[in-house]
Order: sequence, then structure tokens, then C-alpha cells
Amino acid sequence: MTPPSPSEPARPATGKDTPAGPRLFAVIDVGSTAVRMEIAELLDNGAIHTIEQLHHAVHLGKDSFTLGRIQQSTIEECVNILKNYRRVMEEYGVTAPNQIRAVATSSVREASNRDTFLDRVYIATRINLEVIEEAEETRLTYLGVQDILARHPELQKGDLLVVEVGGGDSELLVVQDGFVTFSNTYRLGSLRMRETLDVRHTPAARLYETFLKHIQLTVDQIHRSVPVEKTACLVAISGDARFAATHLVADWADKSIARIDVKSFSAFARKIASLEVDELVRKYRMSFQEAETVGPALMGYAQLAKVFGVEQFVVPKSSLRHGLLREAIGSGAWNEGLESQLIHSAVSLGHKYSFDERHGTQVADLSVRLFRELQPDHQLGVRHERLLRVAAILHEVGLFIHSRSHHKHSMYIILNSDLFGMSRSDMNLIGLIARYHRRAAPQPYHEGYALLSRDDRMVVSKLAAILRVADALDRNHMQQVRELSFARARGSFTILVHDVEDLSLERVALKEKGSMFEEVYGMKIGLEVATSNEGLMPDV
Amino acid sequence: MSKPAVAPVYNNRELSWLSFNTRVLEEGLDASLPVLERLKFIAITSSNLDEFFMVRAGGLQQLLLQAKTEADNSGWAPGELLAEINRQCHAMVATQYGCMMNDLKTRLHDAGIRRLHMNKLTPALYEYLEGVFEHELYPVITPIAIKGADDLPQLPGLTVLLFVRLKADDAKAKKPRYAVVLIPKRLGRFITAPIEEGHNYVLVEDVVGEFVSRLFPGEPVAEVVPFRITRNADMGVREDLAGDLLRRMKDVLVARKQSNCVRLEVSDAVSKTSLGMLTQLFGVNADNTYLVPGPLDLAAYFGLARMTGFDELREKPWPPQQPPAIPPNGSIFEAIARKDILLHHPYESFDPVVRMVEEAADDPNVLAIKQILYRTSENSPIIAALARAANRDKHVTAIVELKARFDEARNIGWAESLEQSGVQVIYGIKGLKTHAKVCVVVRKETGGIRRYVHFGTGNYNEITARLYTDTSYMTCADDYGADATAFFNMITGYSQPVAFRKLEAAPIGLRARLLELIEGETLRCEQGQPAQIRARINSLVDADIINALYRASQAGVKIQLNVRGICCLRPGVPGLSDNIEVISIVDRFLEHSRILYFHQGGDPLLFISSADWMPRNLDRRVELLVPVDDEAARQRLIQNLDAMFRDTAKARRQTSDGSYVRVKPAKGAKPFRSQEWFYQQACEANRTAKSIQPQVFQPERPGALKP
Repeated sequence: MTPPSPSEPARPATGKDTPAGPRLFAVIDVGSTAVRMEIAELLDNGAIHTIEQLHHAVHLGKDSFTLGRIQQSTIEECVNILKNYRRVMEEYGVTAPNQIRAVATSSVREASNRDTFLDRVYIATRINLEVIEEAEETRLTYLGVQDILARHPELQKGDLLVVEVGGGDSELLVVQDGFVTFSNTYRLGSLRMRETLDVRHTPAARLYETFLKHIQLTVDQIHRSVPVEKTACLVAISGDARFAATHLVADWADKSIARIDVKSFSAFARKIASLEVDELVRKYRMSFQEAETVGPALMGYAQLAKVFGVEQFVVPKSSLRHGLLREAIGSGAWNEGLESQLIHSAVSLGHKYSFDERHGTQVADLSVRLFRELQPDHQLGVRHERLLRVAAILHEVGLFIHSRSHHKHSMYIILNSDLFGMSRSDMNLIGLIARYHRRAAPQPYHEGYALLSRDDRMVVSKLAAILRVADALDRNHMQQVRELSFARARGSFTILVHDVEDLSLERVALKEKGSMFEEVYGMKIGLEVATSNEGLMPDV
Repeated sequence: MSKPAVAPVYNNRELSWLSFNTRVLEEGLDASLPVLERLKFIAITSSNLDEFFMVRAGGLQQLLLQAKTEADNSGWAPGELLAEINRQCHAMVATQYGCMMNDLKTRLHDAGIRRLHMNKLTPALYEYLEGVFEHELYPVITPIAIKGADDLPQLPGLTVLLFVRLKADDAKAKKPRYAVVLIPKRLGRFITAPIEEGHNYVLVEDVVGEFVSRLFPGEPVAEVVPFRITRNADMGVREDLAGDLLRRMKDVLVARKQSNCVRLEVSDAVSKTSLGMLTQLFGVNADNTYLVPGPLDLAAYFGLARMTGFDELREKPWPPQQPPAIPPNGSIFEAIARKDILLHHPYESFDPVVRMVEEAADDPNVLAIKQILYRTSENSPIIAALARAANRDKHVTAIVELKARFDEARNIGWAESLEQSGVQVIYGIKGLKTHAKVCVVVRKETGGIRRYVHFGTGNYNEITARLYTDTSYMTCADDYGADATAFFNMITGYSQPVAFRKLEAAPIGLRARLLELIEGETLRCEQGQPAQIRARINSLVDADIINALYRASQAGVKIQLNVRGICCLRPGVPGLSDNIEVISIVDRFLEHSRILYFHQGGDPLLFISSADWMPRNLDRRVELLVPVDDEAARQRLIQNLDAMFRDTAKARRQTSDGSYVRVKPAKGAKPFRSQEWFYQQACEANRTAKSIQPQVFQPERPGALKP
């Protein structure tokens, strides 16, 4: 595998051939301390041009992290902000749903009345606010820094820690030689900290120590959970990090990234964290909400840098909104780079459980081949192909525990792991698909399966059936089956294998594992050695 | 000038203002100027004084009432200061009327502009004016009986009123009766007499006075005397109170009508009895009473000075020139897209700015227009264009500053009519006046969204743009567009302040940026680099800025300031401000641009700004500081600054004792008049542009004639 590069937007450079798709986009990020919007346009040369950036402080995090719910007044505050944003969008004619992406993160995610909040926003503003999960947040964050990494190849050498200390949570990614090898979300949030530690009456002089104790504890836990001990460089993403860069790097305005040595960064963090909120507001002209979180956030970065032995901070100008934008514009939605990031992170997970990489990859490739061939039958899309591929790679990780019931072990290993860019519900489906690669077919009382929607149950069955066939084709773990073609007759589906003499083992396996396929797809499945003549047939 | 006890480091702002008005008056006294130009300056002096009494003197009197006695930073305690102000104002008024009644009156008379008096009219003329009174004045004037100070009716400020004393009827032993006659302002001050030769006028109060007895049938009139009161207008809107701003502004207008009287002007023909009654009625003392030997409200003569005809009594006009960068027929947006445009008004026409909004209203590619309106003319074409744009479904945002002083009533008018046409009208920011001058047009073009921005130093008012010197900068560079939009998002409350790429705005970062720029020069100078600061502003009051400039001067920075009005900085004081030069230019056009220059070691920074260097501008107003990046525009600004500091015709230099002396040309040299030079430059640029324009004949083709 080669390190991924952000795929260039596929649009041609000439205006004449430009597809008639939207050129203007708005992305909104409802965070714990602020609601932000960015309006951008896609230029003919494929570049993204930011037109407007707006932000407005809110109390969402304060409400969620202390009360567990969003207060009515805060809901109305957000609604008013979003109404104004709506007006700005309309000025640019940005009104179609495919031009707008609005997401909310931890503070809304954790609020007990999140649905009330989302409904109210939709009714008042027609903005469909989407609560994104932690993994999605990580993926978007990565999407945002992807082109920075591409533009600075030196950053891709060696290990890199990409961190966003947010108001509620911190996202952390480990990038090794350009690949995300680990990603996770931790409950280390600048605002969450302030609210849960209840520092309202703590004098500024003691504030630093109070935060430090808490941060050290969490950061140590993080350090233990991350498979890398040391990284030379930490990429810090967030408004707080950008604030530090503005004050520490004189010509930051003209650069895409700022490089700050750990010593200056940590000293700055300490200085900021020791200032009273109103002092920060006055001195740095920030909002009170920003002033309340900037200190703990910077300390979070500084402490992470300390435990990981980081020497240098890199602060890019991008943010989660850049990821959203790239995705909205279509240049970033599961582009090749991200796809290979995901595969790489699945393979890394497999290695953790000493899996047979070649078998996993082989089964994954065969599964995808079958999946595409059967598209008219299952009618599923690329997201499902992705789930199937990952499930195939990991279907045997359970062997690490024991060969007996290893399909069940595979499932719970997957359920308790994080994969780059995969949400909880994605992981749940992947786990189930892997589980059903052998033995019992799905039953309504099976754990995990029981709670699925009807649609998702169908997805699991359709994909597990394919996985079983693909697994049978590599029964001997020898990766003999390379080239396939297919033949369909009334009620039967035959896989034609090229350049293989003997398929008896595979046929036995298929007999054992193919029944689910036959039930789900309503076709008998057969396996034949392709004659040379047949091999010339186009495999459509 | 009586010296305060402590050696002053700052000029007192009130006295500095009066000194500015003295410079305006000097132009009126200047015998080398044509008589109508002089009359204009006399009128401006009066109008300036009106405003001074309304907004400054009132506040000072208030301070005194609150028994504040501490001296300010210029060393003046309120009591002494008020006495000094009164002394100077009385002297100024005396000079003004001396000039008007002795010198100008004769010259005007000789030139055919004559004021006629009712007692010296031909019978035919008398009869004519009697008819005017009967048919036009009588139906609309209102006599009001005056019972006493406790029961004083609402009388308008700054309007000429007639005080009427009716004869006491001795037989019935009644006290004398008093009345005031209101002459509505819309009747005008001057009634033209139907005489062919020259321009002959009668003052409206003279006509009403002549026939005033007809308002009081059966009661003999003992005395009729014109007077005028000035009310304290120094009351802001209390924005912390609940209720909507529009309604509260209307309340202020009412309050202003009722506030206390700070000045009483009466014709010096007044009797002792009537004067006593007037001072008692309005609660003023001798200090605040001005007995004048001529017509009240000389500001009204501004209209007379500008009437059509009599051009030989004026200087040759300097009509605004078409700027060469903007072809008269092409699209203004194309012109801006070709190149950033810097305009110097009124030498160059303000039309391009009006055209930008008008073209935007009619341009199908324009998505949105955002504009700040502070003071605008009546029937403003800009407002009409904004309304038209809104009718055409463009998104139009107008920040209408209701708090623009004395324009409130007019502003409320537009605001309501704009709202009706679908413009999103925003009444400024709570607690701050929106004084920045910026307009953004968002246009959808083949290459993407493009924003055209106009930054100005003057208001969007095509009338004052012919009288005030101002600078416009028009650009579509993305950084300016992004900043200008962010600025609007900030004032509309859509977004909290974001870091600007280029601009600085008050009250957020402008003051800090200015100090940083001044201190930057100081540091460079201390490190041996050449350092220089030049500025063209209207007022310099802010103590932080002044102190920073003093420090810069002490470090050796060469500082040249062209401050038209109030300047609390004292230049040339040994050890304090040796390297500072302050000039003030009072000439035909009111100097109004704000241009700043910081040498930056030879890579100078140039700015235009809406802000004067006063605490109110830097702390309580929304203002902009705009760097000018375009090289040609920068060179032009530098050239303009050069010319101002070279002026030896209309410039005055402040001396180290705070007084101003005229800058004289070197012996034998012709005086250099910067405003004239600017005009010549504009003409020349226009001529050059015309001469290089290719002559293309446009044939009339048959098809083009078809309907």
C-alpha cells in the first residue's frame, strides 16, 4: 500500500465542462462553546475558496455537561443564531439541502433532549442538524488535515499525533507513515473539565494546578491506551490551538501551518491558563465562552505533548469544518485516501490479534468482487461494500481467543474496537457480518442482531451470505483463487475460477457455507473451473 | 489667553475648537476673497457656533451645576474654562458682526445684494410686502401668549422668533402682556423684493414685525424684537433601557425640544424691559446672552451665498472631475476588477460611488448589497437604489445610524421607508454609533463569488461630497471583501468579531493598532532607522494617542499632522514635542479625509480611516482603519499628503503656545494652495485620459433605429 494522498477534486478545470452541481456550500458546526458557519465555493481549478466565516458563542456545553440537557433559553439562542446564518446562506443562494451540511458534536450528542433540540432547529430554520458520532468526528477531522499532510510530506515521515481538544471530548489520531493506525475519542474536554471540576470559585492562582491534576490523570490514561509511546510531532487542531499560533508565530497569517516548539507552547498554555477569564476577554478580545475554555484546552495539548515526548507542535489553519466542506463538495467523501486509511486501520487491528493477513485480505477482495457482481440483487451501496470489506478482513480475528466459537469472539473484538471513520452502528454491523461468516444463520434472539432495524437485518444477511462464499473460496488459506468470472442461469449463480486445477476443497466448503447465500439470494450457487473459452468472456 | 496655573501639556479641547472656528472666521475676514466666499465663511462660523453651544457648552454648564471643580488635563477647571469660553465667544460674535455689518454689508450693497428695511421702502414695495404678509405669512404664523417662566410654552430652538411687548393699559392698571410669534422655518428667511436690478431681500422677521399688530387687534404693540434660543442637545439615547430604539430616538427628539436654554441671542435694539423678561423666561444670565447688531442666525446666509448668479462675487468654481479610472459608460464593476480605484473628492466626482450602488441594484448578477448609512441627503439616490435592489429580490442590508446627531429625524424617515421596500434595516449596535463608511456588493461571476467594496472617509451623501474633501477606495481584492463581509456580520450581530485579514475596527482593535503603529515608529527610530508619521485627520483629542506621539517625538520620529479642527496635542514644545508639526488647512472645501502614513523603515503603510483620534471615535463608535495596498493608490496618497504639508496659502501652523499662525511662502515665492493643486491634478488626469482615449466613430446602422 502507498500512503494515501487527498484525491484531487475530479472536476475538470475548464468552466465549460463543469458539472452543473452546486458550487457554493455552507457548513455549520454546532459545538459546545460556539456555533460556527463557513460558506465556501468550489473554484474552477478545484480549490475551495472560503467566502464567509461566522461564529457565535453559546452555552450548549455548559448545559449538557452540567445539567445533562439543553435549557430552553439556550435552544432559542441557537435557533436565533442559525436563523441569522440561514439569512447569510440565502444571500448566496445556498438553500438546497445538498449545499448545506450542519453537524452537532458532543454537547448535543450527550443532551437528553437532543431530539427536541434538533426538531426545534429544523422547524425554525429548515436546517437539518445532524448529530455526528465520535468516530465520524475523527474522520472529518482527519479529512480536514488531509491536504495539510499532503502539502507537507515531511510531516508524513515518522509518527504523528493529531489531536483536537474540544469542549466536550478530545479526538486523537496516530498517523504512521501517512496512515492512521489508531484513532479514539476521549472524554477530555476543556469545557467539560471546567464544568465538572466546578472551578467557579477557584482563584486564578490555583486554577492552573486544579486543571493540571485532572489533565495529567486523563492524559496518562490516554497514553497507556495508545499503541505508540513517543511521537516527535503533534498536530493540534482547534480554535484554541489556532489562538496560540496567532500569538506565538508572527507571520502565521501567511502560512498554512504554524510550527511551535513545545517549550514556548507550554509556557504560553501556562500563562493563559493562569489568567482570569475577564482578563483574557479584555486582553485578547475573545468571548467569555472562548476565554473559559482556552486555558484548559491549551494545557491539554501541552500535557499530551509531554507524555508523548513531542518536540514540536504543528497548528494547521484547518478544522472540522474543512472536513465537512470537503465532504459537502464531494472531494472528500470517502475518497481513496480515506478508504485506504480505513483498510489500513482494519489490518492494524487484525495484527493486534495475530490474524492471517493474507487470508483476510483475500477474502475481502473476493467479497468485494462478489458484492459488485451481485449489485442488482442486493441493491446496496458503497457504504455497505465498505462494511463488508472490513468485516471480511477481520472475520477471523476471534481465533486469537480460541478456535471454538471464534466467530463470536470476532464479533466482540470488533464491537470493542475503534476503526478509523467507523461509527458505533457501523462497528455493530461489521461485528455481526463477521459473526455470521460461519455456523448459525442470524436468529432474532441473537445478541446485537435483535435490536437491528429490519433494513439493517437484511443488510447483515445479504453481506454475511457473500462473506461465507468468499471465505469458502479461500478455504485452504492459500489465496489460489485469483481470477473469477460469473455465469448466471435461471435460478443459479456460478462462479467460474480461472487458472486453478482442483476446486474440490472449495466445493466442499461452499456446500457447507453456501446455503445462506441460496436462502438470501434465491439462487443455487455453483463453482466451476473456467474453460479457456469461458475465460475470454467478459465478466459482466 | 489667560494661562492656567500648571504649564499645559495639552490644549483644552473646547478652546482648541474655538480656535478652529476663529480660523474659519479669518477666511470670512480675508479681504482678498470675493465677497460671497467671505459671506459663506461668516455663515459657517455661525452654524459651527450653533453646534458648539448645543453639544459642548451645555455639557460644561452641566458640569458646573454638578459642582465639579477639578481641572482637566489641560489645567482648566470648569468655572474658569466656562468664563474663558464665554469671553472668546462674545469676542468672536463681535468680530463676526463687525465684519458683517461694516465691511460685507457695504460690499454686498455695492455689488447689488441689498437688504431692504421696512421703513425705507417705496410705497409700491411696501404694499407688495403687505400682500405677502396677508396671504402667505399671516395664515401660518402663530402668536403665543407668555404668562411667565413657569408657564412657558414649547418654543423651538435655533429659530428666529419675535418677542412682542404689548402696551400696558394704564387705565385698567393691567400688567403689560407679552407674546412670542413663531415664524415657521419653512417660510424661509429671505423674501425677495420684485426689483429688477440686483438682488434685494427683506428678512421675514422684518415683514412679520412690521405688521405684527394685526395679530393683536385692539392691543397696541409697544415693542417687537427678534430673538433666538439654543437648547442643550447633549443627550444621548439611553440604550440600556427597554423598548425599541426607533421609539426611543423619537423620544430624544422630543426631549431635545424641551431641554434647557444655553444661549439667548437678541437684537441689540431690545429694550431693557424686554431683555429682562427674556433672560428671566429662559433662565439665562448675561454671559449666555448675546446682543447682536444685525440679523440673527447668520448661518442662514449660507443659502444667500450660494444663490444662482453673482458668480463674479465668488471664486471660479472647481467642478468635480470624472476620474480617469472609471469610464463614463462602462460598468463600474469592470473598472474595479481591472484595478483598485482611489478617488479624491470633491476634486473627483462622487458619482462612481453612487453609481456602484445604482448599478448593483440593476445588475442581475448581484446577490447582495450591504451598506452603512450615517448621514445622507434628502432624496438620496443611494437610498432609492437600495430600495430598488430590494424590490428586485436582492438581499439588501442597511445599517442606518439613527444616532447621527441632528439627522435623527431624517434618518428615522429613511429607515422606515427602506424597511417597507424589503431592505433589512439594522439600527446600529447597542451603545455605539456606526460611523464607518463601507459598502459591499456581492456579485456572482463566472469565476465565482466576487465582492466589490467601497471604503470611504466621508458619508454616503452626494451633496456634502461636493463640499468636503474625502477619499474613496474601491477594490474587489478578496481579503478586503472577506473583511468587509465579516465586519457586516459583526455589526448585524450574525457573528462575533473574527480576526480581520486587513482591516481594524473600533472599538475592538483600532486604538490598539494605532498605538502599535506609533510605537513601531518609535522603536525603529530608537534602533537608528528613519522614522516618520504623517496624518490627515479632523480632530486629535485622545490622550493615549497624544502621549504615544509625544514619546515618538522624543525618540526622534518626524511627525507631521494635518488636523483641521480640535487638536489637544501641543507641537514644538522643547523636550516634549520638538519633532511634531501641526498644521490646519481652512479653505474652500471642508477638509474631511483621514489619511495615515507610517514610514515603517522605508516600506510605508498607508491607511484611510473613518475615525478621528478622539476617545468617542475610538471607544464608542464603530469605525474602520483600511490599509491601502494598491501601489498607484499609495503613491497618490503620499503625493496628497506631500501637497498638504507644502501648503503656504491656506495652512496655519500651531505654535508651541497652542495658537495658530499662517504659513507664509518663502520670500518671493508664489503661495502654494493645496486644494487648488488637487483640483488641477484632477483636471489634468481627466484631460490626459480623454486625449489618449481612442476616437471611435459609431455608425448608426439601420437595424439600430428600429423600435
